[in-house]
Amino acid sequence: MKLLVVEDDATTGAYVARGLREEGHSVDLVADGRDGLIAATSNSYDVLIVDRMLPQVDGLTLIKTLRAAGNTTPTLFLTALGDVEDRIAGLNAGADDYLVKPFIFGELSARVAALARRPQALEAETVLRTQDLEVNLITRQVTRAGVEIDLLPREFALLEHLLRRKGRVQTRTMLLEAVWDISFDPMTNVVETHISRLRAKIDRPFDEALIETVRGAGYRIKP
Amino acid sequence: MRARLRGLWRSMPLRLAMLLVLLFTAVSLLSLAASYAVTQSSFEAAIRADLTQDMAGFRAAPNAQAVALLVEAESRETDPNRLILSYVAPNGRIYGNGAIARDDEGWHIVSLDAVRAEYSGAYLSLTDTLYGGLLTIARSRAEITALGDVFLNILLVSLLPTVLVALGGGLILARRSKRHVEVVGRALDAMTTGDLGARVQIGPRWSDDLRQIGGKLNQMAGAQERSVAALRQVSSDIAHDLKTPIQRVAVHLDDLAQQVDEASDAGQLVTKAQAELDGIASVFQSLLQLAQVEAGSPKARFVPVDLDALCRTMVEVFEPSAAEGGHTLVYDARDARMTVLGDGALLGQLLSNLIENALRHTPAGSTVRVALEQIDGSPRLSVTDNGVGIPSHERAAVLQRLYRLDRSRHTAGNGLGLSLVEAVAKLHSAGLTLEDAGPGLRVVVEFDREQAPLARPS
Repeated sequence: MKLLVVEDDATTGAYVARGLREEGHSVDLVADGRDGLIAATSNSYDVLIVDRMLPQVDGLTLIKTLRAAGNTTPTLFLTALGDVEDRIAGLNAGADDYLVKPFIFGELSARVAALARRPQALEAETVLRTQDLEVNLITRQVTRAGVEIDLLPREFALLEHLLRRKGRVQTRTMLLEAVWDISFDPMTNVVETHISRLRAKIDRPFDEALIETVRGAGYRIKP
Repeated sequence: MRARLRGLWRSMPLRLAMLLVLLFTAVSLLSLAASYAVTQSSFEAAIRADLTQDMAGFRAAPNAQAVALLVEAESRETDPNRLILSYVAPNGRIYGNGAIARDDEGWHIVSLDAVRAEYSGAYLSLTDTLYGGLLTIARSRAEITALGDVFLNILLVSLLPTVLVALGGGLILARRSKRHVEVVGRALDAMTTGDLGARVQIGPRWSDDLRQIGGKLNQMAGAQERSVAALRQVSSDIAHDLKTPIQRVAVHLDDLAQQVDEASDAGQLVTKAQAELDGIASVFQSLLQLAQVEAGSPKARFVPVDLDALCRTMVEVFEPSAAEGGHTLVYDARDARMTVLGDGALLGQLLSNLIENALRHTPAGSTVRVALEQIDGSPRLSVTDNGVGIPSHERAAVLQRLYRLDRSRHTAGNGLGLSLVEAVAKLHSAGLTLEDAGPGLRVVVEFDREQAPLARPS
């Protein structure tokens, strides 16, 4: 993917750019809002990563200007404040997702990947499959290697979310938002325990584990 | 309707109007009574003067015979209801159109015909001896009596419109000022609940005093809004200035973690440093959030929040973690389907903090019970544990920022959880109390009845 990072802090900018390049993306890094605006309008990117506080033109104005000009490139908004007001301001300006500083690279990478695929996500499938695991969305029947597995409604939702994005990392906060509609981060390891319950039913009775933990990022289901 | 009337009755303008009506009535009554008394006495004096003059006229007659003739002639032409002449001649014969009689009940004036009918009505009389006879002249007081009626009429005609006009005007003024005061009240309500942009809309027809109050309130609200905006700017600047270096440290630690073996001593140190940095970021984020919530969040963003669904979700989210720590987490919905106007994310965090607190500070084997019930129409949310509780003298202190009980120093948490709970409760005008659950702690969040409308008010 071709990505644009607009971040004035050199350390963070270089870190993000390097990480994304290591993942195989082509990354342009600019340090102020005006350069960001020029880059975003003169090239075609898959995802924009924009810091809120920028010299010359701030992040909010940058996104608003792009959207006003008809540019719909998915945009991840980086914010230091992270309160509701701030998030709403970012989303209202036209950002597609936001990330509160300090963040770890895994979170950023997972969210960028999710943003890039947003348009063609969620096909109208009735049966989700990976390897020998099958989830029927109509009958809500879950089987692995022909063995029927009984899941609680929220376990089903969690599995469905992972399966629809198979092979892609889902972070704790992404799962909390998508499965439970919780936009804050509880200090307790709630996601870990839900995953471990799901694993107990999906993976433990079988030879191969399908749900993988990606260190420093989150979870994904094997494709 | 009755309540509205009672409300109007208590209003200042109406009370003033009533007071003025009372005063005006009293003054009118007094002045009318005084002029009545003066007029009456001058009327009486005039009648007495007439009587003396009449008497002098008869005295001009040369003898008793002439007096009798004169009385006879005069009385033939006068109405006894107006003027009565009576001459008892020296021979005992009575001339005139009436006679003074006396019985057990006192003096009477009676007619001279056979019936001896009594003339009713009050008279003023003058009696004098004349040529051996007794002449009595009596003039009716009817005019003076009529005077009373005239004054009563004057009173009614002048007072009634005054009273009606004053009452009506008072009512209109009362309703108008009530409307104006309500405008001020609504603006104040909006301001206190976080809508800092709310202002008193001063109408062109407002009275000067109300206009002044409204203006001052708007000045105050403006100052408040500016200081909150300044606070926002400051916290936004601080957040940016502090989070950027925190982010850099996280970046460096992450780079370092890539270079060293996780299992080595250096690797362990990096992991510890990362955990500490997470703690710093979390305290910082909590403090920022606390400041923002306390600064007030606009009520305009409030939406109906289904408390029952919220409790269900939170209990479900925490249940596996609770079970893992040996706790039992249950949801006790005594009265489901309760909705409050609020910020769903903040209310969720409130409940999440309460559950986390209970799980963190109670030993394995404890039960944490989330309950939702309706008391007198007010939704009541409570989280109860059967742990060791909090000593009563420390209950107020645990709401302070960063306060931690001595025995909790070594458990996770940053001492900001309950402060946020308190701030969120306050934002929703909900009461927060910490009770002894004997044994254990019960935290109760009691929402306002007005916070629980069936439908969203427009």
